[in-house]
Amino acid sequence: MENNMLSVKNLHATVEGKEILRGIDLEVKAGEVHAIMGPNGSGKSTLASVLAGNEKYTVTEGTVEFLGRDLLSMSIEDRARLGLFLGFQYPVEIPGVTMANFMKLAVNEQRKYRGEEPLTAAEFLRLMKEKSAVVELSSKLTSRAVNEGFSGGEKKKNEIFQMAMLDPKLAILDETDSGLDIDALRIVATGVTKLHTPQNATVVITHYQRLLDYIVPDVVHVLYKGRIIYTGDKTLALKLEKEGYDWLINEYDK
Amino acid sequence: MDRIFEILGELRKAGREVFRVESPVPQPYASVDPGHLRVELAAGAAAHLVVLHTEEGTSALDIDLSEGAQLELTELFLGGTFCETAVRQGARSRCRMTTVLLAGANVVYRIELEGADAENNLGGAFLLGGREHGVVKLHTSHRVSDCRSDSTVKGVAGGEAVGEFSGLVYVARDAQRTDARQQSRNVLLSETARIETMPQLEIYADDVKCSHGATVGQMDSDAILYMRQRGLSESQARRLQIEGFVGDIVRRCGVEPLGEALLELAAEKLEKL
Repeated sequence: MENNMLSVKNLHATVEGKEILRGIDLEVKAGEVHAIMGPNGSGKSTLASVLAGNEKYTVTEGTVEFLGRDLLSMSIEDRARLGLFLGFQYPVEIPGVTMANFMKLAVNEQRKYRGEEPLTAAEFLRLMKEKSAVVELSSKLTSRAVNEGFSGGEKKKNEIFQMAMLDPKLAILDETDSGLDIDALRIVATGVTKLHTPQNATVVITHYQRLLDYIVPDVVHVLYKGRIIYTGDKTLALKLEKEGYDWLINEYDK
Repeated sequence: MDRIFEILGELRKAGREVFRVESPVPQPYASVDPGHLRVELAAGAAAHLVVLHTEEGTSALDIDLSEGAQLELTELFLGGTFCETAVRQGARSRCRMTTVLLAGANVVYRIELEGADAENNLGGAFLLGGREHGVVKLHTSHRVSDCRSDSTVKGVAGGEAVGEFSGLVYVARDAQRTDARQQSRNVLLSETARIETMPQLEIYADDVKCSHGATVGQMDSDAILYMRQRGLSESQARRLQIEGFVGDIVRRCGVEPLGEALLELAAEKLEKL
């Protein structure tokens, strides 16, 4: 169990009194790529938000261990500093705050948490340049305000750029493929694949098989009504693409 | 704060009572707690003037720009000064003003565009906390045709602070082809803070372009969440967000490196809001 990165046990969570997660069990090991699929409203984005620490949700039952720590007792920022990254489905615009300024603070906060010296201006610029190449993000965008006036594709590329800058242990990508045209999808997915190492792990939340043509998962889960009702290998995604969720849902609802 | 005094200390003194500029080459001047000061720019003259107000008392600036004169005026309020600044602009003159309130001052601007093709641009910001009460009043008069004015005042109030903005753009009957814009944008940081904004237009000419707008809102909590997910603490995220909101105003002052020093001072104040 040495390389167990994330261990979710019987996780229940509510929002405004309504139970959305109803007993999630999930184990992610270093080096693995997991895909979480499922129909709309099944709780996929909620799971991502709860793991990231969004205070809108209340955890009512269950435990989450991340790198041996009790994740649920930690603040959002400490989870991030420990190495958890959430790629947002809807990246937020922050007027007047440049990408460079934002990333410099974020990178150095995370370094401080790990007991490392802050990057010098030259080191930081080099890092920005190197990592923006991962997703072919124009250097013009990194000098602009965070996500302001970015196209849908640029926003998603920008998420992966930030992931590259922060080098997380576990990246949870919440529908990073939604709203992308085929070229942007390829760039984003190729970027994610480039960043994958035996030491880190990725959880990809998606509706569509097409993303998984680029990011090949080791494990595919189907989330339905707040539970993981089925787990398989990468062939499951293909089967779901062809046959839909009905065969699983009907079995579960019986 | 010391940094501001250090920077101003290196500039020329604007003198007392009457400060007259004839040179067309802009030089930076400073004035600290000027009391009553008359500023005259001769035809075609140019200057940068930085005025620092630290006292509780009253102050009055009487500014006269002759034809084609260019003034870059930065005013910083660190005390509860009651200040009235009157600016008269002749034909083809340019006046670019920046005013930053880091205390509960009461500031009135009367801008008179009296010569054709005069242009006034004002950027204001007030950052109030605790029980401070800050007021910015703006009265821009387009007396003749073909002048332009553009004002943006941004307000931030936390604690139990109260901020007030009132802005009037007046366009006289003969002031055709006026182009006037006014924006008031405000953010409340607490439930107990209050900001009142009153933008007004009074237009008697019929061929004009005038616009105004006012907003009062809260900080975007989704943006705070987003920044915290990248590892920033909540207070860092808040500070960055407010800096982003007022930064363009505070940083725009034309005398280097005063803009960055002002932003630093504003950021220190933000920590306490």
